[in-house]
Amino acid sequence: MSEAQAAASQTTVEIPQEARDRARELGWEDGLIELALETGHSLQEIWQALRAGVTGEQAKLFLSRGSRVVRPDFWWMRVPTEWGIRARPSDPQMGLTIGDIMIGTYGDVPDVWTNRSEIARGCWPNPIVEDMGYTIFEKAIVWADCVVPLYEIAIRDRWAAATDLPWNTLEPLPTDIERAICQFLTEQSERAYFESVMWGSWLPQISYGFIEMKLFISTVIFDLARHSEAFRKRALSNGGGLGLQAPTDYNRVVKEARTFPELAAVLFVQDSMLLTLFKHGDALAQNQLEQKLYSLVARDRERLMQYQVERLKHFLFKMPDRREEQNLYFNKAESRIAKEWRDPAVSEPLAILLGGGKENIEEGRRKLLALRKRQIEEYVENLRRATFERKNLNGRLLAFLEEAEKAGV
Amino acid sequence: MTTEQRTEGGLDLSWLDLYDEPTSSTPSKKGMTLADINLGRYSSEARGEGDMTFRLRGAIPRPNAQRFGPNYQSKADVWAENCLMLYEEAVQRQWSSARDIPWDTLEPLPDDIERAMCQLCTMLTEVEFIAGDVPGQWLPFVSAQDYEAGLFLMTQIMDEARHTDVFRKRALANGGGLLAQGAGLGLRTLIEARDFTEMSVLMHVQAEGFVQSMFRMGELIGKTEADKRIFRMSAQDESRHLAFGVMHLKYVLDTQPERREEIHHYLDKAEGDAAGGGSGDVTFPPVFEALCILLGGGKDKFDEGVQKFLLLRKRQVNEYLHRLEVAGLGDRRQRVGPLLRQFVDAA
Repeated sequence: MSEAQAAASQTTVEIPQEARDRARELGWEDGLIELALETGHSLQEIWQALRAGVTGEQAKLFLSRGSRVVRPDFWWMRVPTEWGIRARPSDPQMGLTIGDIMIGTYGDVPDVWTNRSEIARGCWPNPIVEDMGYTIFEKAIVWADCVVPLYEIAIRDRWAAATDLPWNTLEPLPTDIERAICQFLTEQSERAYFESVMWGSWLPQISYGFIEMKLFISTVIFDLARHSEAFRKRALSNGGGLGLQAPTDYNRVVKEARTFPELAAVLFVQDSMLLTLFKHGDALAQNQLEQKLYSLVARDRERLMQYQVERLKHFLFKMPDRREEQNLYFNKAESRIAKEWRDPAVSEPLAILLGGGKENIEEGRRKLLALRKRQIEEYVENLRRATFERKNLNGRLLAFLEEAEKAGV
Repeated sequence: MTTEQRTEGGLDLSWLDLYDEPTSSTPSKKGMTLADINLGRYSSEARGEGDMTFRLRGAIPRPNAQRFGPNYQSKADVWAENCLMLYEEAVQRQWSSARDIPWDTLEPLPDDIERAMCQLCTMLTEVEFIAGDVPGQWLPFVSAQDYEAGLFLMTQIMDEARHTDVFRKRALANGGGLLAQGAGLGLRTLIEARDFTEMSVLMHVQAEGFVQSMFRMGELIGKTEADKRIFRMSAQDESRHLAFGVMHLKYVLDTQPERREEIHHYLDKAEGDAAGGGSGDVTFPPVFEALCILLGGGKDKFDEGVQKFLLLRKRQVNEYLHRLEVAGLGDRRQRVGPLLRQFVDAA
């Protein structure tokens, strides 16, 4: 009986099967693990040796010398990645940005990312790793150069609904006005929350090759969370409450998106419409708090729109054969949004707010029509900036332009 | 009430009649917090049944609302009693890797130390990358009835983005670069989870717990003020994720005690795989060696580093068991996997 075999018959420590399997792969004779334990090595040290690829022969030699620690060769110190990088802030006001570290090979965002693991772009790949299940490997699908500065700007411009809004300035409002605000914000709180969920649910599809884009989308997710939170807080702070849930037609189209370009195209429509809406938030706001809230939301949404426009432009430039396909997604989203604009719980609160009360709702409806027209025009203009000419707007959306023309607004 | 579209020129206005419970929250000392608006029928205690739409808790349902696919119907599946507070804390304590780290305190380090730091940061940027994806994966399954749990996960995504970014920045800011990729580091187990509680126990409690114990040794690991600050700030964020996980587990065990063995089963698997660390698995040789160099103070003090590394493992494992005990899973101490058992302090 060898020394190892004798040790094996005496040990009482539970040795994981995984460790035994690894030892067998490395040519450790049966009982060598037990011998190591017997000679005072912990299971942790043995595991360390197994993970480091110490062969059976090396292990035996090592144990016969009575050493305490396997002397590693620090192979990872010699991997041929780019070394000597000393990134410095290019703008002291902004600090060390992710743009500042996009230097040398670390700044190369490949057109196609081939690694299926969670590898950090620019590090030395492990030759055998599991597929982590990413599905997006093409830069053209997700990328826009603006994500690099926008990520840091989003962090710089962060705000907190709890403390950055003047809650103490709220004063009672006429019932119709207060309820209109609450209904509008119930809908918007749900829309923001849902959009955040949707962007978040696509994160695991995107590989590390496009890390800067994922970082930016993380700020979008966080922004939308705060919007949802702030809208809910406002609805519950001035004698009102939550109203009717948001219509589900548009959100279902978002949920049904089968690919990232479809998701982005469908969201493009609402992102543009809501940006215009909140940019004109002063017309809706009844007090200082709402003015500030809508302007902060608009500022956050400007960044998202910038991404949407640049992403689409880049996508169409790189994948021109997919240009016409986008019409299908825009058409679908336009149709559902326009349908929801006709919903009384969507349109009437806005008309009351714009008109200044239920008794002035007709004037409010006229103003809302003007706002809808502006939303559509700015949407078409945003598409144009992305080099996309939307020649045939969906009929439901077009009807708003026709009504506006008829009404002379 | 009707949800029919109004007729040409007509008005509906029935939505004006939905407010049977006027609510006027007032801000507390910390501003207008989620706790301040957690009132009446809008409160988490008044949670109704979910309806698989994204109707936020307290909003009036639309009779024609379409479903959005299955999500959790039971509060216990995703809830943690501290999530309202943790959300507000996360919003207040956001920091900037660009401006809140004193990058100008970085100074040239001996080559072995710089390489070790870069190797550790290479591993950490990978780990944090996955830690951002995982909550994203689960967001659609959180019912909007448990709105604040969803909001909390959104803050976690932001936190993990910042961690992914700060460790990448650190590797590229002091004359180094990225080094060797990790070997999976048990990260697949986090993605593979098929239940929210499974995910939370593995990611929030185990993996982030192990990472947290390591970050709290940042004073020993980091060699410059910038490095130490990175670990401190990141640890602050990890504490929230960990607190969510512990309180979620506690909520599950308090309200669904029949799930105890199922949860042990997840931990049996995770502790049996490799060193049972998920993203906190620091036993992958490049990470282990880098940590030993940093803890010991150089390649030539490797043996000293190994001893400190073993202390780190001890700390990781005992803090992990303590957290499980707080959550109500104190019996894990007797069942912990063999690779971790050797580090367990006597009760």
